[in-house]
Amino acid sequence: MSTLPRASTIFLAAITTLVAALLYSPLFVPIVSSFFPLSQGNVDWSSPTFSTYVSLAENHDILAALGTTLIVGLCTVVLSVVSGTLLALYYHGRRAGRSFLQFIIFLPFLMPPIISGLALLIFFREIGLERSLLTVVIGHTVFVLAIVYRTVLTRLQSMSRTLVEASYDLGATGWQTFWRVILPNLSSAMVGGAILAFALSFDETMITILVTGTQSTLPVRLWAMMRLGFSPDINALVALILMFTVLLCVLAARFLIPRQVATERS
Amino acid sequence: MSLLVTALAFALPVIFVLVPLAIFLVYSFFSVDQGTIVYAPTLGNYARFFTDPIFLPVFWNTIVLCLSVAIICILLAYPTAYFLTTLKGRWRYALLMLLLVPLLMSYVIKIYAIRSILGLNGFLNKALVTLGILEQPSTLFVFNMNAILLTLTLLLIPFAILPIFLSLERIPQTLLRASDDLGASGLQTFLRITLPLSLPGVASAASFVFVLAIGDFLTPQMVGGISGFTFGRILYSQFGTAYNWPFGAALSVALAIVVILAILIGERFGRNRGTSA
Repeated sequence: MSTLPRASTIFLAAITTLVAALLYSPLFVPIVSSFFPLSQGNVDWSSPTFSTYVSLAENHDILAALGTTLIVGLCTVVLSVVSGTLLALYYHGRRAGRSFLQFIIFLPFLMPPIISGLALLIFFREIGLERSLLTVVIGHTVFVLAIVYRTVLTRLQSMSRTLVEASYDLGATGWQTFWRVILPNLSSAMVGGAILAFALSFDETMITILVTGTQSTLPVRLWAMMRLGFSPDINALVALILMFTVLLCVLAARFLIPRQVATERS
Repeated sequence: MSLLVTALAFALPVIFVLVPLAIFLVYSFFSVDQGTIVYAPTLGNYARFFTDPIFLPVFWNTIVLCLSVAIICILLAYPTAYFLTTLKGRWRYALLMLLLVPLLMSYVIKIYAIRSILGLNGFLNKALVTLGILEQPSTLFVFNMNAILLTLTLLLIPFAILPIFLSLERIPQTLLRASDDLGASGLQTFLRITLPLSLPGVASAASFVFVLAIGDFLTPQMVGGISGFTFGRILYSQFGTAYNWPFGAALSVALAIVVILAILIGERFGRNRGTSA
């Protein structure tokens, strides 16, 4: 695709610019209005202010929701990384039942969240489990498990068998091989999977709305607030969260892309 | 010991995924009588779905809406992905990342921001009035089907860019050079080589966008108003105001069937053939 006529290059660049503008317009609105006061839909460029950030620090309601989201996210990460890694270890190299199990694990990720959420809602009611943060954590774990499982399994499959064989040849036991050889090799995939799981849990809205009790996570709180309109400090929160997630994803990319590939490409 | 491990490996996904979905499916065969669920099997919910004059039209309209979203996303994403592949090395991936970053922003916030852009006092109306396309701000873009279409498109474009980019990137440069050497024009090379080889990516993109669009409840609920009634909203209302869980379960089964079909079609045509060499 080296010799493209000038006119078509300009056309393609124009479309790309349009798409970028479309994609960034919904990000632009809250970030700009976090620094500049907004009145009647007009931005007042003359007086930049940090007042939204100050009032955010005093909004206990939102900060509590943020705290809940972090707790749910951390529990989800621990549960999904442990079970996802164990499942990947169990099914690596084992054919029997693997495609069936993978199909089940991927179902909540493929199905619309409204279906997964409702199914869990009815399930919790049938087994008599009150809706609470516990049910939210279960819902999130089920939702993100596929991502962690896939990430760890991919790393396992690219791991050379000779590493394990060498460990056994050198007289290590099964456990020693696991702790000293397999786990260290998996660790970066596990961290990458954990970051992805956290990011997904952090923004999960539909399943959470359905299975949460009285406590709400941040997206659910925002969803409830949206009917009335947001106060300006929400814009500050959004700007901060975006910064934080971009940072997280740069981290995730570092852990997930093996180093050789990264240097090859640069 | 190994039997126990096997049992555990199966138990977790089965208990928390398969059992809830199975119970949900069973629920679709129950009925509701005066606010309580009657646990006796019936096909009444499915009969109602096919015979009631409300549900099937909304179902079709929603499918058409989501297909439109998929088509618009692809029309915008294809040139963008193509442009990316014309860039060299580092720029290519930097720009790709830049186009994917909006995915990280909170979904709810994005819907809210888009709604304010589309609204009566919003940026879109201001721009159209300034450009002289509209004489006065219009309510054409918010709280109706158009609003859902526009919002879903804005939200889902990145899901179309990625698979198309990947399939374009996999096309061997030698094929394009061979075509050039054999005297084909740029347009001929595109139509005969690039386009056919990138169709699997287009199929995956269409399937992704369609599945995400049809499963979304938050967007239509927030920007759809009264006239923008989609299948997801009807489904949700069965668990809220209408309070008919079994019928809601039956509607979910209908939705799940469409989603599974879309995924299977995407898989079938999304496989790369011929470029494996």
